[in-house]
Amino acid sequence: MALFAAFQTSLLLALLSLRAYQSEVLAEPLPLTPESLNVSIDSAHQYLNLQWSVHSLAYYQELKMLFQIQISRMKTSNVIWVGNYSTVVKRDPVLHWSWKSELPLECATHFVRMRSRVDDAKIPEPRFWSNWSSWKEADAQKSLGRDPLFLFPKDKLVEEGSNVTICYISRNQQDNISCYLEGQQIHGEQLDSNVSAFKLNKVSFIRKTGTNIFCKVDQKDVIKGIVLFVSKVLEEPKDFSCETQDFKTLMCTWDPGTDTSLPKRSSQSYTLFESFSGKKILCEHKNSCNWQVDSDSQEMYNFTLMAENALGNRSVSVLFSLTHRVHPKTPYNLFLKNVSGTKATVTWKVHPIGNYSTLLCQLDLLGEGNVIQQHNVSIKENGEYLLSELEPDTEYMARVRCADANHFWKWSGSISQKFVTAEAAPSEALDVWRNVKSVSGHPTVTLFWKPLSKLHANGKILSYNVIVENLDRPSRLEVHSVPATANGTELTLDQYSYQIHVTALNSAGPSPASVIVVSGDPGNEEAEEERINGTEDGFSVSWKPQSRKAIGYVVEWCDHPQDLPCDLQWKNLSSNTTSTVISSGAFRPGVRYNFRIYEISTERMANLLEKKAGYLKELAPSDNPQVVVSNLTSHSFTLSWKDYSTDSQPGFIQGYYVYLRSKAEKECHPGFKKATLSDKSACCQHRIDNPEQKTFVMENLQPESVYEFLVTPYTSAGSGPVDTFTKVTTPDEYSHILIRIILPMIICVLLIMITCYLKSQWMKEKCYPDIPDPYKSNVLSLIKSKENPHLTIMNVSDCVPDAIEVIHKPEGSKIQFLGASKSLTETEFTKPAYLYLLPAEKNYSGPGPCICFENLTYNEAAADSGSCGHFPVTPQAPPSQPGPLTSPENLLKALEKNYMNSLGEIAAGEASVNYVSQLASQMSGDKDGLPTNPPEPVHCSEYKMQMAIPLGLASPPPAENSGLSSTTPLDQSEHYR
Amino acid sequence: MRPQLVQRTLLSLVLGLLFLSTAATGKCSGKYHELLQQLQNQADLMQDTSTLLDPYIHLQGLDQAGLKEHCKESPGAFPSEDALRGLSQRGFLRTLNATLGHVLHRLTALQQDLTVAREQGRNIRGFRSNIHCMSQLLRGSSEMETAEPTQPGPGATLPPTPVSDTFQHKLQGCRFLHGYHRFMHSARQVFKEWGDSRCRSRSRRHRPPRALQRGARRMRPFRRDERLMPRGQLPR
Repeated sequence: MALFAAFQTSLLLALLSLRAYQSEVLAEPLPLTPESLNVSIDSAHQYLNLQWSVHSLAYYQELKMLFQIQISRMKTSNVIWVGNYSTVVKRDPVLHWSWKSELPLECATHFVRMRSRVDDAKIPEPRFWSNWSSWKEADAQKSLGRDPLFLFPKDKLVEEGSNVTICYISRNQQDNISCYLEGQQIHGEQLDSNVSAFKLNKVSFIRKTGTNIFCKVDQKDVIKGIVLFVSKVLEEPKDFSCETQDFKTLMCTWDPGTDTSLPKRSSQSYTLFESFSGKKILCEHKNSCNWQVDSDSQEMYNFTLMAENALGNRSVSVLFSLTHRVHPKTPYNLFLKNVSGTKATVTWKVHPIGNYSTLLCQLDLLGEGNVIQQHNVSIKENGEYLLSELEPDTEYMARVRCADANHFWKWSGSISQKFVTAEAAPSEALDVWRNVKSVSGHPTVTLFWKPLSKLHANGKILSYNVIVENLDRPSRLEVHSVPATANGTELTLDQYSYQIHVTALNSAGPSPASVIVVSGDPGNEEAEEERINGTEDGFSVSWKPQSRKAIGYVVEWCDHPQDLPCDLQWKNLSSNTTSTVISSGAFRPGVRYNFRIYEISTERMANLLEKKAGYLKELAPSDNPQVVVSNLTSHSFTLSWKDYSTDSQPGFIQGYYVYLRSKAEKECHPGFKKATLSDKSACCQHRIDNPEQKTFVMENLQPESVYEFLVTPYTSAGSGPVDTFTKVTTPDEYSHILIRIILPMIICVLLIMITCYLKSQWMKEKCYPDIPDPYKSNVLSLIKSKENPHLTIMNVSDCVPDAIEVIHKPEGSKIQFLGASKSLTETEFTKPAYLYLLPAEKNYSGPGPCICFENLTYNEAAADSGSCGHFPVTPQAPPSQPGPLTSPENLLKALEKNYMNSLGEIAAGEASVNYVSQLASQMSGDKDGLPTNPPEPVHCSEYKMQMAIPLGLASPPPAENSGLSSTTPLDQSEHYR
Repeated sequence: MRPQLVQRTLLSLVLGLLFLSTAATGKCSGKYHELLQQLQNQADLMQDTSTLLDPYIHLQGLDQAGLKEHCKESPGAFPSEDALRGLSQRGFLRTLNATLGHVLHRLTALQQDLTVAREQGRNIRGFRSNIHCMSQLLRGSSEMETAEPTQPGPGATLPPTPVSDTFQHKLQGCRFLHGYHRFMHSARQVFKEWGDSRCRSRSRRHRPPRALQRGARRMRPFRRDERLMPRGQLPR
């Protein structure tokens, strides 16, 4: 029993002591000092890896603990980092922790120690730190080898903009080492005698093959370097969204931003994580990912897209309902049917989305790139819509796109189809105008029309129809077809009135007719022209209505009035309009535009109402008129420029300036005023205010003076060029008299001389014939009147010659006469020829009939002698001259012939002609009654012998061969002198 | 840069056409002179640094002062010109073929960085085809010569695998390409002397194949001390 009691007491004490022990353990601070601390170096990533354990967790499954870590560099006292590490420690743990060093770990020895503290709520306060562990050394330099120079970190990968520290380790303290970054020397901080560090701030991307940094030992061929791989900054994906086209697949897309990949380095990757389902996929592409929709119809999705590379990651999330992310597929089979001029039916199909989904489709009608109509159509699968209010012959495009009708997310892609509506008849009448002119007395009408706009043409115009209806003869119609390329035609009409219908034709039919009435008699189309001023907007034209029956007005003008054709333009105006502004891009300053306003009567006939003329802007004349000087006197002259047209000038000619200048005169004439020219020279100026006055008389001028004048027109914009003066010299005062007298005289003399020359033969015959006509001799008339009224002149035909001496007198004869010593033998060829005119009796020696011609003109001396000689007439006829001359006619012929021969052979003026006169006796007509008495000298008082013998040679006839003259003897015995 | 690019493109085009002519025929030409001329031309183009070295230097950022002078051929990486001259024709061709085989291997590694390396690889293959043809042509002759070892190629002296240090890797690539172009320059000189010496004297070691001796009786041997001036395209 005592044993039992003792055992019971012992047990109780043991329990008590156990309880007391337990209470003591829980109450005291746990001695959880880190044990087995081990430090290693990860050179590639510059990590100090710590590993330790805690051995005092026998009573706890797990315990949250806090570890404080100290890191020193170079020496333990140089603590460079202190930090806490909190973790839940489990039973028999081996703990790990890493520290990343900015300085390459190879460049300096590092020391690490730590202590711990329970940081668990299960353990009541106060909690105490454990003791520090011993310092642990991490020295990477020991394993570097024996190279003289080392450079760290090797092949480090950093993000652009980061700060990087590099260092070199030199084995020889005496070496002078210089380092370069991409060829540029850099300077660092010396950590100890053989270690230097360089801090590179905000490194930038240079090339994908890395940034080269190297150090060299001076004077030695030692180079060490590292490559710093600088990556572009990994960007957060942009525009991340997911959508479905068929409720089977979700297509997620995003913009990845800059590519951060580097050679031999893993590129950035993208993973897609859905939080509701917990699924995660690695995306195959950098900008899209396909997600299979589960068959259990998950409604909500929460996606997280994570971009990741070796340096970090970026993520973006999106939460959505699947039904709100429906992006339908592009519609298909878009067709147009029943296309008319104004309507068309559009049909299309869509890919169905689920069983109950409805799509809202948008149908756009585009014309010339602009949306003309827009219609929304809700469909399941097939769509159809009737387009109306279309324009004929117009190209349209129908475009369809669709979206989810319940929850709009995005429009599908568009499908489009072009189509052209059918043609229709032109809807508008042509705008027609006419121009009536008279050609060869026939009124000719030129019709003009403006092409229909595309809106009104409703198709391609094939031709124009012109129907001419004679209003005076209604039964006659003329139809003209004009090609579509023309915009007018010309009709030749007569004096009737015509109604002209013009229509445009396309494949669908004609346009409404445009009607115009033209009268064959244009009537009086004159109207007073008014001047108007142009503005920047054009010409403001107004008119006064003449009748109340006008149905409209037309203003007509030419865009290019100086050209042919002048590009006729017209503007139709309503009947209640009395003014308009005519504007045209063709209007130019300095061009005169003429406007005609026509009133259109109810009969559709145009009557000229008013005429206007104006300039958009008047300019100064560019040319001066051609001035003609006339009536030049010693004191005046007249200027005229009548050919100058005032209508074709660059402005309304208001008048002219006449400039006059003279060196002789300093003062201006009355009506002139002094003016200074551009060259600073002075002159006198006279202003003519009447543009129609195109002559000007310069008066009060000085004789024999030089004047310079210039005529220039002026408009409201200025005058013409004052440049070239024309010189005029006034004559002296008498010169005009001389000219008036002497000039006609000279002309008369010249005329007489010319006449004489031309009529020399006639004059010779009349004034000094070779054989004067006795009838015409004034001597005869004198004799007749004074002495013997019965005295007549013998007619040659009445004279029966028996011989005619023909004198041949060549040039040499004169020489013979002048040189008397010449022998006669030299002049044998001058033998006289004798013409025996009468059958001579051999023995007849009586005096022959005496014929005496008197010609005072030729031989005044002879006439003065008062006698004429009788030459002996040789009775013997030469054998060579037989009787053909016996008849008077033959004789005359022979005379004439020999006379002519002698004229041709004897030099004029030098010939000495012996006129052998036959004095007609009282018995001249009695041939038989010849005198038988011996010849006596007969005083020829009644008939004077006419001789053309030179005075000095009027001597007795020389010997036969003398050659001076030849005598045709009437009788050898009858020689008169 | 633009003219260099154009120049390189033209060179590559010409070179490609040369190699294509060989590849297109599909069989070796039996004409010694024609083949020799082709090899000379190919070597002439392949020695040009603008085809590989220059683009590489630019791509790697080694065209900086202080770095260029370290881009030199590593001693022993490629057979020297003297060593090549000391070889018989067939020995020379074997050495050339083996060395270019190693070059092809290295170029494959460079292709990731240097796109033109792929193109140059094709050119080297074409060149080797011509070497093969020339070897066949020489083998067809009854040239009696003692067997001689080939010169060690770059594979024996260069590190077999690139180092992990990227900077050193860049420099080694640069040195390798420098050596390659120098080697091709030496090969070009040797080929040139093949053509020159054929006209001067007979050479016991370098005589052309018997079939060609009729037109190549004056071929002379190379002299050991005879150095040809480099064309100045490579820094020595």
